[in-house]
Amino acid sequence: MSAASDAGVVVPRFGTRGKAWLALLGVLIVAGLGAWAYQLRQGLAVTGMDNVFSWGLYIMLFVLFIGLSAGGLIISSAPKFFHSKRYDSLAALGVLLSLGCIVVAGLLILPDLGSPSRVTGFLTSPDPRSPMVWDFGIVLLYGLFNVGYLWLLTRRDFAKMGSWLAFGVEDTPAGRERDRKFAFWAAAIAMPLAVGLHSVTGWIFATQIGRGDWFNPLVAPMFIMKALVSGLALLLVTGILVDRFTRFRFPRELVPELGKLLGIFVAVHVIYLVAAERLPHAWAAHFEFWSITRAFLVGDTIHFWLWTLIGGVLPIALLAVPSLRRRIKAVFVASVAAIVGILFEGVYLIFTGYHDLNIDAAPGVTTGTDYTGLEADIWATTGSYTPTIVELAVAVGLVAVGALIVTLGLRFVPIQPNDRTPVSAERDETTATTADPVATDGGADAEVAGDA
Amino acid sequence: MTDYGMVIDLERCIGCNACAVSCSQENNVSLDKQWNRILTEGGDAMDTPEGSYPENGRDGTLSMNHLPLACQHCDNAPCVKVCPVNATYKRDDGIVEIDYDKCMGCRYCMSACPYNARVFNFDEPKTLPTDGTGNVEERKQGVVEKCTFCSHRVEEDLDPACTVACPADARIFGDLDDEESTASRYVEKYETEQLLDELETDPNTYYIRGEMSPGRTRSGNELEGTEKKAVGNPNGVATDGGDGQ
Ligand code: SF4
Ligand code: SF4
Repeated sequence: MSAASDAGVVVPRFGTRGKAWLALLGVLIVAGLGAWAYQLRQGLAVTGMDNVFSWGLYIMLFVLFIGLSAGGLIISSAPKFFHSKRYDSLAALGVLLSLGCIVVAGLLILPDLGSPSRVTGFLTSPDPRSPMVWDFGIVLLYGLFNVGYLWLLTRRDFAKMGSWLAFGVEDTPAGRERDRKFAFWAAAIAMPLAVGLHSVTGWIFATQIGRGDWFNPLVAPMFIMKALVSGLALLLVTGILVDRFTRFRFPRELVPELGKLLGIFVAVHVIYLVAAERLPHAWAAHFEFWSITRAFLVGDTIHFWLWTLIGGVLPIALLAVPSLRRRIKAVFVASVAAIVGILFEGVYLIFTGYHDLNIDAAPGVTTGTDYTGLEADIWATTGSYTPTIVELAVAVGLVAVGALIVTLGLRFVPIQPNDRTPVSAERDETTATTADPVATDGGADAEVAGDA
Repeated sequence: MTDYGMVIDLERCIGCNACAVSCSQENNVSLDKQWNRILTEGGDAMDTPEGSYPENGRDGTLSMNHLPLACQHCDNAPCVKVCPVNATYKRDDGIVEIDYDKCMGCRYCMSACPYNARVFNFDEPKTLPTDGTGNVEERKQGVVEKCTFCSHRVEEDLDPACTVACPADARIFGDLDDEESTASRYVEKYETEQLLDELETDPNTYYIRGEMSPGRTRSGNELEGTEKKAVGNPNGVATDGGDGQ
């Protein structure tokens, strides 16, 4: 393989470890497909859902992955919008991640459908009043935009590699300059698109009068904030891992910086927005000062605590202290915790919608899943839900599809900006070509890189 | 225009479940579901009162009432608005219906319905007898279903099965746009309530609470605008008991 042919690609070839990783993903995807086939035959009865709790893990993860898909795009586009090159080294990786996540989110809808073959109805007889139709449109648009944007960011490097993926584009300094202008305009589209994606997904819930706390104007802003939190956290986690296992170089000085930004996002989300949401309710429902305070501070479900403690307190504690956030490990742990927290926020949201019935007089609602014979109790007056192994297997399989997309992206897309000084303000792309592919990795651990 | 609706007199309802049973039979509803449920307003379990037993003479506070609940056929139906593929729709005659060939089973409508009126076929429906008693459309695994006001009967000028089955005349079905229909006259005369009306779904189902209506056999001519339609065209499909195939 010649030097030029893999310039900017952070995994020039799959080593043993890379192959093992691919094999693992393959196994997970096949297991997920198997589980889905089983579910198609048996029906959604093999999930933990019923007539009361009618959306479960798939929708919870859909919400999570919609959020995760934000970070990459925002981090890669926001600086461009201000003509800053500071985060250029993360731009392509970020868009690649966004793409992987939005694909997972879109695919997660399929196993949730009772009759997936009719999903074409979105195109043949859509109802423009349905927030789910809006979401379908914007998810599609967002996915396609990510593909185009990733190509725009990397096409000159593709050209340099001589890859057919350049689609005839040539690597010229003038061309790179022009692409930079295009990237500015793309960024100008990316941001409203991302805001739209998260708001619309929030409105799927926020428009529903019948499901308790869902009907809440704060849901859409919450979705945007949690997209910023989880998206940035995922970019940090992936960036750190990819830096460790491939030739990709995550500029070290960016870690505490982005860590600090993540801390601010978490604080706005978990402290400010949650307070803004809960305080009016607590105030209106209670009389004494301390009971108002208690109702405001003390959540009622385990999901609430998982979200606010693991996803809020822990990352803030790790990221607030400057000496801690300079440690990559601390930022890594904080980011993972933030993602786990956001996962449970989604779980919490779904539970608040389904736990209580508006009309809960006995015997309640027929569950539609519990008929075992004449004596069966098919009734429920509150919602409860535990995902089944089948749901978990399908979900893990789909997440593996996302991981596969990112992995193949690392292997075939030149996501590392093709010069040695990703952070410097003045870059001259024409001098970046070097005879030694290892040197283009920006100094990452060559042994590890070769192995991956 | 026609706007079908129902009046349910909660004071007349005796909680016998006859309407629920006839609904399940008429529409061949799976054994693990009910389109029409009779809820007990009272204790924690079905058919139990709340309050305390009279210990000393008349100091008891026991109270119990029944609330029959099925799809309310809302005018501003959230289930219709959320359905991404137009499978759930509001007919011109006011009935909210589902096109089972379009429904993709996303269950968004179940989240949207504040009354939990909708059920989903998580697996193949378990019905007894397997071909049912009515001539209603089959619903397969993976689609949502609910009360249709027995649209197949209404189209043949018959009242819904529940209305005919009610031994207490607690249900009156009719055209709310027709001021002379019995249903309209009941809504006009009695104090009625639409369930969860604060949610502004504007149901076509009205509940009488407080003063009991006289019952159709005794109501005389004054409230009988349109008669109860229990027997229809003997050659029609809705009355053949389902064994004519
Ligand atoms: S009661 Fe529920 S299912 Fe029936 S029309 Fe209203 S919202 Fe739709
Ligand atoms: S489950 Fe069927 S009827 Fe309900 S919203 Fe989805 S497609 Fe429409």
